[in-house]
Parts: sequence; structure tokens; C-alpha cells
Amino acid sequence: MNDSIVSFLSEFAIYKAFVASVSAKIGFDATSLLTFVVFFIAVLLVVNVMALIGGLGTYAERKISADLQARQGPNRVGPYGILQFLADGVKMITKEDIIPRMSDKFLFIVAPLLCMVGVFATLAVLPFASGLMLTDLNIGVFYMLGVSSLVGVGIFLGGYASNSKWSMLGGMRGAAQIISYEIPVTLSILAIVVLSGGLSMKTLVEGQLGVPWGWNIFHNPFTFIGFFVFFIGALAESNRAPFDLPEAESELVSGYHTEYTGMRFAFFALAEYVEVFVLCGLAAALFLGGYLVPFNLGKGLPLLEQFLQLGSFVTKTLLLYYVVIWVRWTLPRLRVDQLMTLCWKYLTPIALFNLIGCSFWMYFFEGKSLWVLLFKSGAKVAAGHH
Amino acid sequence: MFTNILFLMSAVLTVGGAFAVILTKNIMHACVYLLSSLLGVAGLYVTLGADFVAATQLVVYVGGIVILMVFAVLLTGGSDAQKENKFGLSKIPLMGNNKTYTIAWITAFVVFMTLIKIISNIIKYYKETEVSAYTATVEKIGMLLVTDHVLAFEISSVLLLGALVGAAVIARPRKRE
Repeated sequence: MNDSIVSFLSEFAIYKAFVASVSAKIGFDATSLLTFVVFFIAVLLVVNVMALIGGLGTYAERKISADLQARQGPNRVGPYGILQFLADGVKMITKEDIIPRMSDKFLFIVAPLLCMVGVFATLAVLPFASGLMLTDLNIGVFYMLGVSSLVGVGIFLGGYASNSKWSMLGGMRGAAQIISYEIPVTLSILAIVVLSGGLSMKTLVEGQLGVPWGWNIFHNPFTFIGFFVFFIGALAESNRAPFDLPEAESELVSGYHTEYTGMRFAFFALAEYVEVFVLCGLAAALFLGGYLVPFNLGKGLPLLEQFLQLGSFVTKTLLLYYVVIWVRWTLPRLRVDQLMTLCWKYLTPIALFNLIGCSFWMYFFEGKSLWVLLFKSGAKVAAGHH
Repeated sequence: MFTNILFLMSAVLTVGGAFAVILTKNIMHACVYLLSSLLGVAGLYVTLGADFVAATQLVVYVGGIVILMVFAVLLTGGSDAQKENKFGLSKIPLMGNNKTYTIAWITAFVVFMTLIKIISNIIKYYKETEVSAYTATVEKIGMLLVTDHVLAFEISSVLLLGALVGAAVIARPRKRE
């Protein structure tokens, strides 16, 4: 079946011996059981680490914004205030859980969970490293688009269920924005799919090279534009400024989560921060070489290789994460009509143009990148690291 | 065994969601239950090895149809003034009247009879067979779409273009006359 963390582990002799010994002890073939256990542990690990990253995201946001505005930021809890997010979490748990009397209680409870489920389900295919990704689905990117659309439903229902005008408007804006910006984002991804010839994350990442001139973003002029279209669309899909209209403080109090308190609010916030990480990771995987390490360092030593690949992926993702925060604290918010104009009159045609351009590029230049075509020496370098 | 468990869970989600849709009185809740039912159908596709169809189910129905339904419900609202709350938001939009119920029953009857007709053949000639090993479906679907079924593919694109143009025409600001 698909490559997954289990198929990666079962290449090692230690794992095989472990499976054999467990099978001997319990009296039947333990392969399936251990597969389940390994997946359980891996998923537990990934979800918790990502929740931690989501928490640290709030800290990073506050610290970076403070830096950009020449302030101090949180600096009381722990060294440099790094434990601030834990303090916030404790505060969230101990807060009173208010469900408005006139609200739709069932939907009010379900909405944050839908957001959480939608975001955390995308982690299943996020390529952390060639072996350490949970599973390499044959339809990876497509699956990711599918489950992440649950977030839109969650935001919309959260806005509706609160029974408040602010929430309602925020939810409406959120849903309209998310389903609109899905189109340029999907078209940009499709251009990369055309380049790589597959939907699985591994195909998409390993169609590139570890070095910057082998990344998809510099493959041809169309993908270079496509990256920016994708990134702008990703900002809008995760409701980040300058597209944070669903939670515009100056107009809508706090948008779709105005009426939410305590952990329910935290679920929305956590889902947003993890979604930003996932989308940055997707951008890194599709355009910036993903987990590939320059010059295939560490090849032959599986553990070191995985570690370096993880480092490569996380570094690229966190750099993009920094850009996202940087953009938020630099640009003013768009108006609703400007938002829709940007999506439908600029990004969608550009993305379509990119898709057609990439297809023609593949047809005429047989998938060779710009550098390969321009420099013979580049061709040698590129061929040397395939 | 694992596949069987997955299949059972998906089936329960599908059927349970479908029952909840028709038993609930609140149309917004019905949309959410429909969501769970559609997710269950995606799960069924996965257990049958149709991964691409399952993902399409997610993208189209969860991301598109359900959001569209909820939008439509909110934009049209109910006609019963008492069902509105103090903000003027319709709390429980109307589920239907006698006319729609009659049409719905007739439609349900026709669909049910058609399904019985189809399923009866399957039950009659059912043989226990091994589920074939998992193979990637994306390439096959892609090849079929641009070879055998290219007409349907092109016609659907024309349909979508028509829908897009229609939406643009409806949404266009009208000139004052």
C-alpha cells in the first residue's frame, strides 16, 4: 500500500526482530497489531507536537509583533516569557465556559471541533521527512484540500450558532473568503502537480532538488508567480491578516468567535495557528524543496538523514511562518470588496495563466527547469544530484 | 479486520447521519448531519479502495455542497415571523409544507423502487469474492477521462462555464432605469 511511517520502520532489522519476538510471545502474527500501535504513538506524538507548535505560535506572534513595533512583548513567565503560552492555556482552562442562552447549543459545541478536526486531519499527509511522515497517501495533496475544507464549515457554523450579529457576519465572511480563495490555491497546486506528475507528497517533494536552483519555485517563471499566488491564497484561507476580515476587531468585535470563551475559543485559536503551520509546510513542500537536504547530506545513515530532512522542512516552514506574522503586523486589512476583487479578478486569472503556462512549459521543454535550459553547467550540477 | 471495522464505522456514520437528517426539525442541524453522512460515504469509498473518489467526495461535498446549502438556508431564511429571534435572524427555518412533503414522498418512492430494482440484481447474483489488492486509481481515472469519456468530460466543462456565466450575470450590478 502507501508508504508510511510503519513501512519506513519495517525496513530496519531491529523492527522486524521486534515484531518477530512479540509474535512469538503472544502466539499470533503481531504485524497488524504493532502497525496499529506504531501509528497510535506516531499520531499522538505529531498531534501533541503540533499543538505545542500552535501554542508557541501565539508566543511567536506576540514576540515578533512586539519586535516589529519596538516593544518588549511577553517577558514575565519563564525566560524571555517563553512559558507565556502555558500560562495562557491554564487561564483558558480555568475560565468560565459560557454558552449563550439564545445560541444553537448543538452547533455551538460542534463548530470548534470541526475546525480542530479539519486542521489536524491534514497532518496525516504533511511530509515532515521522507520516512517520518505519517502516511504518504497516493492522493496526498487532494486529501489535504478535502479535509481542510471542514475548517470553513466549522467557522461558518460557529458564526451562525453564536446567534450574534458580529459572529454571523464574521462567519459569513469567513466561509465566503475560504471557498473563494480555494480556487487560486488549488490552481497553483495543480500547476505543481503538472510539473511533478503525481498527487502524493513524496512525488511532489522528490521531483525537486535539495539545492535552491532545483526547487519548484525557481523551476520556471510560472511557478515563481504561482508561489506568490499560493502564499497569498494560503494567508486568506487561514484568515490571517491582511485577510482577517472574519475576525476584524475594529468592525466585528472578534468575528465568528466573539461569543466563545475558555477552551472553545482556544480550539479556534489553536486550529488557526496549526493551519498556518500546515499551509506554510505545504508551501515549503510544494515550492521550496520540502524536506530535501542540499547535496543529499546524510545519505546512507537513515537516522541522521531523517533528522536532517526534518530540520530542513521545519526550518523552511518556520521561516514562512515568520513571514506570515511579519505580513500581519505590516499590512493593513483589506475591505470585503477589495478582498473579492483580488481573488476573482487578479489571483484566479493569474493562477489559470500559470497552470496553462506550466502545461506548455512541460510540453515544449520536457520538464527541464529554467536553469537547465540556460546553463549547461547548471544541467551538470542538477543531473549530478538526482 | 481493520478494513471491516472501518467499513462498519463508515456505514454507521452514513446511515445514522441520513436518519438524523430526516428526523431533525432544524434545517441547520440537518445540514450538519448531512455532513456526517457524506463523510461516512467518503469512508465507504476508502474501504472499497477508491481513494480518489473519496477525496473528491470530501472536496466537492464537504467543501462545496454543504457550505453552499448552509449559505442558501441562511440567505433565504424562513417565512414564519415567530421563529425569528430578537436579532431578526431566523432561528428555525421552515422545513416544508404539504406540497413539498407530497413531492418529497413521491420522489422518495420512485428513488426507493429504482434502488430496489438495482440492488435486487446484486443480491441475486452475489458471490463472495476476494477484494482485489489496492491499486492507485488516479492514473486510470485520468486516462479514462481524456479517452473513453472525453465527451462527458467536455460537456461537463461547458455546463460549468454556463453556470459561471449565469452566476456572473445574476450577480452583476443592475443599471437604474
